[in-house]
Amino acid sequence: MPDVVPIMRMGPDLLVTLQGDLDDRAVEQIEQEVTDQVARTSARAVLVDVSGLAVLDSFVARVLARLVSMVRLLGADATLVGISPAVAITLVELGVSLRHVNTALNAEQGMGRLRRLREGDASRWAGHDDRG
Amino acid sequence: MAVGDEPAHFRQMIDSIVDYEVIRLDEKGVISSWHPGAQLLTQYTAEEAIGKPVTLFYTEEDIVEGKADAELRAAAETGRYGTEGWRVRKDGSQFWASVVLTPIREPGGTVTGFVKVTADLTEQREQTLALRAGQQMLDGIADYEVIRLDSDGVVRSWNPGAVKLTGYVADEVVGRHVSMFYTEEDKRGAMAEREMASAARDGSLEVEGWRIRKDGTRFWANVVLSPILDDQGEVTGFVKVARDLTERREQEQLVQRQRDEILELSTPVIQVWDKVLILPLIGTLDSVRAARLTESLLERIAADQAEVVILDVSGVPAIDSGVARHLLKTVEAARLMGTASILSGIRPEIAQSMVHLGIELGGLRSCTSLKDALQLALRLVRAGADAADLAGRHA
Repeated sequence: MPDVVPIMRMGPDLLVTLQGDLDDRAVEQIEQEVTDQVARTSARAVLVDVSGLAVLDSFVARVLARLVSMVRLLGADATLVGISPAVAITLVELGVSLRHVNTALNAEQGMGRLRRLREGDASRWAGHDDRG
Repeated sequence: MAVGDEPAHFRQMIDSIVDYEVIRLDEKGVISSWHPGAQLLTQYTAEEAIGKPVTLFYTEEDIVEGKADAELRAAAETGRYGTEGWRVRKDGSQFWASVVLTPIREPGGTVTGFVKVTADLTEQREQTLALRAGQQMLDGIADYEVIRLDSDGVVRSWNPGAVKLTGYVADEVVGRHVSMFYTEEDKRGAMAEREMASAARDGSLEVEGWRIRKDGTRFWANVVLSPILDDQGEVTGFVKVARDLTERREQEQLVQRQRDEILELSTPVIQVWDKVLILPLIGTLDSVRAARLTESLLERIAADQAEVVILDVSGVPAIDSGVARHLLKTVEAARLMGTASILSGIRPEIAQSMVHLGIELGGLRSCTSLKDALQLALRLVRAGADAADLAGRHA
């Protein structure tokens, strides 16, 4: 990991791009910087792009789940984007479900979903739910 | 040497012979001398043998045929007569004897007796027969190359199967190194030497590979190489059994290709709308097909950036817990990538059995018809309502 965690501000949202290998020190740094940024900018949502990670194993999966929990505690939504087919199969085989984590194919779709979610919140309050 | 010493020396010499029977017969074929070697061979003592006709050692059959007389006559006429045949010991057991009869003549030429030298060749005969049988057996094998190599890998024997397989006849091959059948690449890699070393170490080696015929064409050979060991356990050579598996290999490759094609056909992923894929499942799902299915579906999701996938199971005869587990894994993997799944075409009996099996659908949506599933998918994509919710929280 580079010394600076690339965090990009996109309107009310943050895009965090993770790259290379994650070791304990890097994980600590990411958690610190992401939580700092979310709190400082009052971000509505955080997109975490994992397509650049060298490995995505059960350790990294736990790290990501933890990061998502922290973001939620700070009042923002979190979405993981860029999980490849091979990684998805591996995670399922490992039994790592990341069950309560939102996912999206790419950053753009993730943004779209976050936006819809926000609009959906309003419609849900109005009683619309297509799950009927 | 004094003339008078001769009988004593002669006696000693004869008595010291134990591997042969050397006895004297008179001119009528009556035994007139005996020695320990003869007793060893026939089990008769001197008292029992001397004075008896030589037919004592003959089989009933040979006696009826008058073989003994005929042999003595032949010896008297030709000066030496050699023969092989079954002879009988005192206890009735038989041995394969090699017999040489030489007439003893007076100075005038009259035959006064015979010297009979007999050796027991039963064992040698067995070995010879066994060898001959072995050779005939090898010669009878036309579909396999069964050859012998010495410890350096030089070809020492050749059989018709080898001729048929390689096109070489024995004269062209025997005495040459076995590497002559290998490809240039294998020759450079000293493949023959490595195979022999491995066979010597492990007691046997089975390999498959390309070999070259006399006409330069190649064939896919299955080779079994076994070391020949001497009594001390040293490798003195190898037996090499080879056959042509070119056809089988081609068939296997064909079957594999066809299987791949069938798998490809049986897991078609169809894009029905922008960002909507349908995976129509047909027939029984085994683990190979199921794994292939997951793989091709996820790849298509990545390639098309599909937001919704419809898994249509109306063509699946039954869903057992294994298939259900696999479907749910596929759905889970798709969700991790950010894609929602809709199950369609569940029949009432499948719904019942799935619940009875304790299969949990989790947050997976299910529609009875493909039409409903498609409508739902389009609604999810176009209206964009609650898509993130669908893909994530309730899965």
